Amino acid sequence: MTFLEYLQSRRELLLAQTLEHATIVLMSVALATVIGVLIALWTYRNPRARAVATGMAAAMLTIPSFALLGLLIAPLGLGYTPTLVALTMYALLPILRNTIVGLSEIDPALTEAARGIGMSRLRSLATVEIPLSWPVILTGIRVSTQMTMGIAAIGAYVGGPGLGNQIFSGLANLGGVNSLNQALVGTLGVIVLALTVDFALALLGKLTQAGQRPKLFRPRPARRPTLTPSTAVPSPSLGGRE
Amino acid sequence: MSHDVMIDLQQVNKFYRGQKAPVVENMSMTIQQGEIIVLVGPSGCGKTTTMKMINRLIEPSSGRILIDGTDVTALDGNDLRRQIGYVIQQVGLFPHMSVATNVGLVPKMLGWDRKRIEARADELLHLVGLEPAIYRNRLPRQLSGGQQQRVGVARALAADPPVMLMDEPFGATDPMTRDRLQNEFLRLQEQLRKTIVFVTHDFDEAIKMGTRIAVLGERSKIRQFDTPENLLASPADSTVAQFIGRGARLKQLDLRRVDAIAWEDIPLIQPDKAANGAKRQLEQTEGSSALTVDADNRPLRWVNADDLTADAGALDGAAGQTVTTVEPQATLRDALDAMLASRDGAAVVVDEHGRYAGTVTLDGLMQVIHHTPERGAPGSGVPDQRSGVAPAAELTPEQR
Repeated sequence: MTFLEYLQSRRELLLAQTLEHATIVLMSVALATVIGVLIALWTYRNPRARAVATGMAAAMLTIPSFALLGLLIAPLGLGYTPTLVALTMYALLPILRNTIVGLSEIDPALTEAARGIGMSRLRSLATVEIPLSWPVILTGIRVSTQMTMGIAAIGAYVGGPGLGNQIFSGLANLGGVNSLNQALVGTLGVIVLALTVDFALALLGKLTQAGQRPKLFRPRPARRPTLTPSTAVPSPSLGGRE
Repeated sequence: MSHDVMIDLQQVNKFYRGQKAPVVENMSMTIQQGEIIVLVGPSGCGKTTTMKMINRLIEPSSGRILIDGTDVTALDGNDLRRQIGYVIQQVGLFPHMSVATNVGLVPKMLGWDRKRIEARADELLHLVGLEPAIYRNRLPRQLSGGQQQRVGVARALAADPPVMLMDEPFGATDPMTRDRLQNEFLRLQEQLRKTIVFVTHDFDEAIKMGTRIAVLGERSKIRQFDTPENLLASPADSTVAQFIGRGARLKQLDLRRVDAIAWEDIPLIQPDKAANGAKRQLEQTEGSSALTVDADNRPLRWVNADDLTADAGALDGAAGQTVTTVEPQATLRDALDAMLASRDGAAVVVDEHGRYAGTVTLDGLMQVIHHTPERGAPGSGVPDQRSGVAPAAELTPEQR
């Protein structure tokens, strides 16, 4: 069976596994974003707390993924949960670190002006500091997404969902009829998925760039400006400006 | 307490943990409604700390601060700050918001409706000299430094606060822009009559902007608190004098206008007058010079007795010296410049149509300088460094 024939015959299964893969990655990144941003907000003004937080996140990143998944079987069992937890742990560091960097690089004059005109701490964060550090935070999210895409494949080892199942069964049946096709489709699927999601995030970054007529964080919907080509059409490069 | 006291600092102290000496020690100061009070002093003297305690960006450790009779420590800090305009050197416009959004931030927090905020933003942009239709939707980085600070001032004025705090607001702009912003702001203030606390380390700016100036020393100790005129005329101690720097007398000349001093009259020679009559007139009045004028009383030239004898027929001709004129609104420094350019040490004051109105002389100028109110208050003019006693701050502020 050729590669294309294999794709054709397993279309539905592959599609489902791709969706599962994307879902678990996006879920873990979303979780990591919430946790990471919260920890960053909690710690970024205190150098010691900041060092502890980033240090711990970095330590988690050094644990080999096989080992971490294996270790998580004991408390969490097999399947979806340990994979999600492990991925979230890995996704945490880039988001946490970038959020801390983004927040602490904001011009102190701006936070002082925000306080000086009577903004509460929360309002200042929501309308000034987070929107301004958003590009840096988003870069962290993109790095985390790329990284967890690959690690998610290993989740299949503990019964997790996604394209890793193709790779693992291919490796298990080495020499079998479809083993090469399986390993190939799993690997290529992860790569294509990673590129697609990264492209989407880059697009999101373009659309939400602070200072470029921000759309997500505009305080109130003003008269809709006509989209200029520079904001409506993303540049072909995936990297964008970050 | 009279009801036009706007800000009252009562024995305010600020200590920081771990520091023995207070940053601000026993600061008391009474500020009237509509004044621009300039806090001036060397860096690190606590002038900014003092200012920031008024809107509680920094909490005072002890003492009371009353604004319009209300103790500020009784209010919520954010509510308080929404009622006090705040302008800083770095401007601090939010780069991701349009000019109009920046200006409308405080009204928005106060819960104004959208229409009213938009109208107010336009009104304020107009007030600070930025055409709303052009600048409303711009982002701060699309403006020049001077324009950004105009927007900064507009943002501070948005909710029409009675009190404004300004921390070296024009310090980051080039000298020409600064001069223009200062003038515009003074013009604005004539209209708005805000009570303003203005921090700077530039004494010339203090003289220009201040209704009264507080020269601060270490720990925000008031060395002298007085009008610019009095400060220049009689610095309380050598530190203040040092801070004023050279040319105090010349700086005084900047503060006064020609119409604020007495003019002298000199003999005028009308064009139809005979030269002989003019000469007799000169001799009678014992003045050395007379001014020839045209039919509309516009000054032509200075003449003296010698000019008249030498060329008796040419009264309306080229005899005599050219005349330098000043208008009544000119500063005394301009007048001095005009005097130095004239042979007789006198500048001719003309009205807006160029007609003769009087003359000012070097002697007159000297008198003004030396008659600037020297007070008999204890310590005034007498260096008293040992005790560091500042002259009484309650001296009647003489409005310029």
